[in-house]
Amino acid sequence: MGKDQRYYNINKLNVIFAIAACTLLFALISLFANDYSRKWKDYQKEFHLLEIENARTKYDAVMNQLDGNEEYQTLLKELDEAEKGHAEKCGAIAHSEELTQLQAENDLVQQNYKFRKAELDAAKYRFEATEAHPAYGQDLEATKQEFLTLEKQVDDLQLKLESSNTRLTQKKKEIDACSDELKKLDRQRYELAKQKELIERKLKNIDPNAMDFTNQVAQMVRDLPVLDLANPNYKIEQIVLKDIRDDVNFMTVPKVERCMTCHLGISNPDYKNAAQPYKTHPNLDLFIDKNSPHPLEEFGCTVCHGGRGRGTDFISTAHTPSSDTQKKEWEEKYDWHELKLWEEPMLPKQYTEAGCFKCHSGETAIKGADKLNLGLQVIQRAGCYNCHQIDQFKGWPKSGPSLRMVKSKLSKDWIYKWIEDPKSFRHNTWMPTYFNQSNNDDPESVKRSEQEILAITHYLYTESEEFTADKMRAKGSADRGKELVASVGCMACHNVQPQSIAEKTTKDTLRREHGPNLIGLGSKVSKEWIYSWLKDPNRYHPTTRMPNLRLSDQEAADIAEYLYTSRNEKFEAKKIPAVDQKVLGDIVLGYLTSMDTHAVSEEKLAAMTQDEQLYFAGQKLINRYGCFSCHDIKGFDKAKPIGTELTEIGNKSTHKLDFGFVHIDHSKWGWFSQKLKDPRIFDEGKEKAPDEKLIMPNFYLSQEEVEAAVTVLLGLVNEQPVEAKKVPRTPENLQFEAGQKLIAQMNCQSCHQIQGEGGTIQKTITDWLVEYEGRAASDAEKVTSSFSPPNLKGVGQKVDPNWLFNFLHQPTDHMRPWLNVRMPTYNFNAEHLNMLVKYFHTIDEEKFPFNFEADTSLTDKEYKAAEKLFSKDYLGCAQCHVVGDQMPYGEADAWAPNLALAKTRLNPHWVLKWIKNPQDLVPGTKMPTFFDPSDFENAGPPDILDGDENEQIRVLRNYLFHLSEVSPKAKTVSVTPAEPAPAATATEETQ
Amino acid sequence: MVEAIKHFINTGTNPKILFPILIVVYFFMFPSTDFMYKVHKKLGLNNLWTKKGGIGLFTCLFLFFLFGLTDPNFRLIVTKPDNVPIVGLLFLVFFFLWFSMKQAWDNDRRTDEGKLPQEAEDSREKILVWPDLVYIEFIALLLCAALIIFWAIALNAPIEEPANPSVSPNPSKAPWYFLGLQEMLVYFDPWLAGVIFPTVIMIGFMAIPFIDNNPKGTGYYTFKERKMAISIFMFLWLVLWIFLISTGTFLRGPNWNFFGPFEYWDPHKLEALTNINLSEYVYMIWQNRSLPDNILLREMWGFLALGAYFGGMPLFLALTFFRGIFKKLGVLRYSVFSFLLLMAMFLPIKMFLRWAFNIKYIVAIPEFFFNI
Repeated sequence: MGKDQRYYNINKLNVIFAIAACTLLFALISLFANDYSRKWKDYQKEFHLLEIENARTKYDAVMNQLDGNEEYQTLLKELDEAEKGHAEKCGAIAHSEELTQLQAENDLVQQNYKFRKAELDAAKYRFEATEAHPAYGQDLEATKQEFLTLEKQVDDLQLKLESSNTRLTQKKKEIDACSDELKKLDRQRYELAKQKELIERKLKNIDPNAMDFTNQVAQMVRDLPVLDLANPNYKIEQIVLKDIRDDVNFMTVPKVERCMTCHLGISNPDYKNAAQPYKTHPNLDLFIDKNSPHPLEEFGCTVCHGGRGRGTDFISTAHTPSSDTQKKEWEEKYDWHELKLWEEPMLPKQYTEAGCFKCHSGETAIKGADKLNLGLQVIQRAGCYNCHQIDQFKGWPKSGPSLRMVKSKLSKDWIYKWIEDPKSFRHNTWMPTYFNQSNNDDPESVKRSEQEILAITHYLYTESEEFTADKMRAKGSADRGKELVASVGCMACHNVQPQSIAEKTTKDTLRREHGPNLIGLGSKVSKEWIYSWLKDPNRYHPTTRMPNLRLSDQEAADIAEYLYTSRNEKFEAKKIPAVDQKVLGDIVLGYLTSMDTHAVSEEKLAAMTQDEQLYFAGQKLINRYGCFSCHDIKGFDKAKPIGTELTEIGNKSTHKLDFGFVHIDHSKWGWFSQKLKDPRIFDEGKEKAPDEKLIMPNFYLSQEEVEAAVTVLLGLVNEQPVEAKKVPRTPENLQFEAGQKLIAQMNCQSCHQIQGEGGTIQKTITDWLVEYEGRAASDAEKVTSSFSPPNLKGVGQKVDPNWLFNFLHQPTDHMRPWLNVRMPTYNFNAEHLNMLVKYFHTIDEEKFPFNFEADTSLTDKEYKAAEKLFSKDYLGCAQCHVVGDQMPYGEADAWAPNLALAKTRLNPHWVLKWIKNPQDLVPGTKMPTFFDPSDFENAGPPDILDGDENEQIRVLRNYLFHLSEVSPKAKTVSVTPAEPAPAATATEETQ
Repeated sequence: MVEAIKHFINTGTNPKILFPILIVVYFFMFPSTDFMYKVHKKLGLNNLWTKKGGIGLFTCLFLFFLFGLTDPNFRLIVTKPDNVPIVGLLFLVFFFLWFSMKQAWDNDRRTDEGKLPQEAEDSREKILVWPDLVYIEFIALLLCAALIIFWAIALNAPIEEPANPSVSPNPSKAPWYFLGLQEMLVYFDPWLAGVIFPTVIMIGFMAIPFIDNNPKGTGYYTFKERKMAISIFMFLWLVLWIFLISTGTFLRGPNWNFFGPFEYWDPHKLEALTNINLSEYVYMIWQNRSLPDNILLREMWGFLALGAYFGGMPLFLALTFFRGIFKKLGVLRYSVFSFLLLMAMFLPIKMFLRWAFNIKYIVAIPEFFFNI
């Protein structure tokens, strides 16, 4: 082919071709590289280095320690010598010709045996088959012969093998016996250097410097592209959770967690201080660890944290920044953006505890989830569940007082001023504010609001029933009242706080806000009303949670007098506007036209008197604002809650939330926080008629309250997907949850410590001790617990259920007569009482049916011995314990419960344990340890019952069970110790 | 100033304005009759199909995109990995349009000078398939493969996060090649836009060789000799296909609302829906009476209009503008041709009726899901 026939210059084309080919090659290599390089591999490489470094440091530390360990060093020397000796002594036997030969022989016999055995099996089959299905050309006799011959051969070979084995073992034993000493030394060395050996082995696996050559090569090759299909170092780590399923539209798949692919140190406590993503989980006691209640293999990560477990890069795992700063940082560092369609993104760090509620939704306080618990408390206190249905709060009482007889308690003016701005009367009230909010504070709305409040007030007053307050049967003294309020227990649920103080919301502050702040009552109610209320709260409000403190007439009068002295003059001075016929007419017309045409509505309006209009508008407005949700109001018994249901609010798609024109982060938590901070904010910039506006009132929650409440909201989710992991619905758990709920509702933990939580009142008891008992502050603090309601730790094991039932029903002051603070009488029904009894027994793992029986009889000798033990000369029980009406002779600071109640109150088995070692049951108790547990055998007095400690404790217990309400002296007369106490009676009583 | 330009473009790209302008411009750019051809030449529009014209055209296009990229909203839409090919498509379409038209006009000039078309000259030269053609094809293949691989590395395939049936993407867009059809759905019911029209398009393609048997322009580019054929094709291709695709890609935002290229895609933008059927125009507005109960009576006017359009129009055209064509094609071929053409014109007409008069349906029988 001539050059002239060619259209293109071939050399030029060749060059272009070469360039094109190289470009494509380069493209293909880039493709490979691009596909091969994954961020998670980089993380794994970095972690690998960290791991090596960590192992080396550990190794060095162990080696240092071993170097300094004399025992180890001598052992090494001994071992060295022993080895030398061993070579001399046993070398000859170990390497002898005889052994080699024996071994070779044995191998051969073994193989022969195996082959012949295989042949035998085949021959056996042939024989059996021929016998069962005789066919032409097959000789049954021949196959049989073959089988039998082989059988014989195998038997022979087996004998031969056995004898060979025996000879070989014999020989080996000889060698072993020779090197026994050496082995023993080596074992000793290993014991000492176990740690070192383990790390050494690990280093050999991971550290290129410590590896042998083959491993080094393998190490290099196994992660090369394509070859990495076999057994790479760097691979995606995952666990599959079969019982938790992800919904992937139209079907569900098991949850897969790949988080550990990058979070490599998550379960290893060595990486506590490592940087992310290698850092150890901050709470291995509760999570991740195999022995924790939530092991990684069973619970995974995203079940609690949210996010996409299947993702393998920073973005596809749906990480969520916890602040704007972090968001910016991530955007720069990782090119982060939100996964818009993944409905369960990772919870921002501050809301992580929301994840707990998925499975623990029956609990009112979840161990370890402090923020979530605070959130639950905020919701209980604010009463969110009144307007918003939340299944977890089904059956909770209404948050506000009953308004059925409000006429007899409050003046119309007071109600107006209160509704208009509750905070102006009581700065820390939980009654939220409806008016003068961001969407109704313009002059026109304010005018409308005034008329609305007038209408609501009018309705409440018109519909109110009569209540006759008791006449005060004593003349009160404000000073005494003040002291009573400080000491008798009011401060458990109330506080007296004239000015607002900047204070972080905690569990304790919320407990003290269980009831209203007792200020300004003089401007609110009459003295008689307070008196009546204190004497019997249920008379005015049958379902109130305010208990009865069993105050005497004088005490009630004193407290009423004291509370009445506090006035709020600024509040009293506020003006009440007059009814504006035009605005009121508009309001009424607005409601009328929603039911009928304009013309008819106008007629109806014209036919109404002003009072009728106020009543009509009031009724409609109470319905609109949902006042009846928190307050009992006549005419609204059957009204439904007005708010959005929140039971599964955490699942609500962000796309369904109306962010309006407010520029905030488009996330659920962003919306919830903003809504709680200013419930009307999303009306901003919108044109709305008055009856279209948002009506959620403002609780003026603090930042930490909002954050805690949002944590709960995010935790309110559909529990179906985690059904398998939910706290099991066992009777014990149900009893526990029911009791917890009642305890939260009744604020028991304000006085008592239950499960290590509570006792809020103690601070006020200290104050009382300082102010009224003249104690120094430090001294007061020390003895506070002696004058406070008891810690209820171990109550379930300690007390008799019957007694507990009765005590909770009708508490007495006999048990701790020296206390000023009183256990109040609650309006519990039998169901409540049983709930509490079961709760206390459940938390102390006392199984139902309870077995609180014991033989408490005493012989004469035992009785005398017990009496001795009880006396001043020995244990001196009555020094601290009240016995019947006899007060202890010791210091009041250390007084202890009435022993005369022991028989009906205590569990006899528990008393034994208690006397034996009280610190074991309630660490830190004031009860002295009479029997030193470290030297129990010699702890008791040797002269009583031959110094048998267990006997001493038993008779003392039985003695206590014989004490009755009469003093011990009288007791000795009445009880004839010769006769054993009738055990049957005791049984009847405890049952 | 910049804002003013953006505002101007945003307003101008509203199809109510853009589409009529485009149609008018189109008739001047691709004149179908001798008269328009003269006007075209007189206005000097043929200069567009020269090197200088091409450079001008592309400079404008480039400048527009450069200017546009300074705007965040524009940048967001144009650089979306899904949309990058459409941007490429725009440049390629413009380039090949210009290139073929340039060759056509060059040839026309040659024929005016009495020379043969350029292609006739070319065919005298000989090129060997092997190695010349195969070699350069192979090189092109390598380069294309490399380009696609680099592209795939640089712009990740838009595989998104797992779908969520309760959160459908807004706007939900068809693949780019179906955006023309999706756009048609705004003006016609699915049975028309999704079934009848695509079928007619297929049949139309098949019918082309039977309708257009003009031997001129075979094997070479020419405009003058095939004015009508080229202008009809360009209308279908550029206006009814490319324009609708780019509108669908760049100008249709959330809720399938129109957004200017520099406008923020606000998902909450509301547009009043006040479309009205032809029967409602006739009875309620003009005659001031309620709609008749009888469906046929009610929709009579629509049927009449359609009858006039598809039945009367071919006759009218045969007697007037298309007299020559009618003679050339004969009755049967003319009927098919006029039907296809009227069908094609039906879309822009309906669009125009929608924008100008808010016409929803010409024939509206929702009782039988029959709406036109």
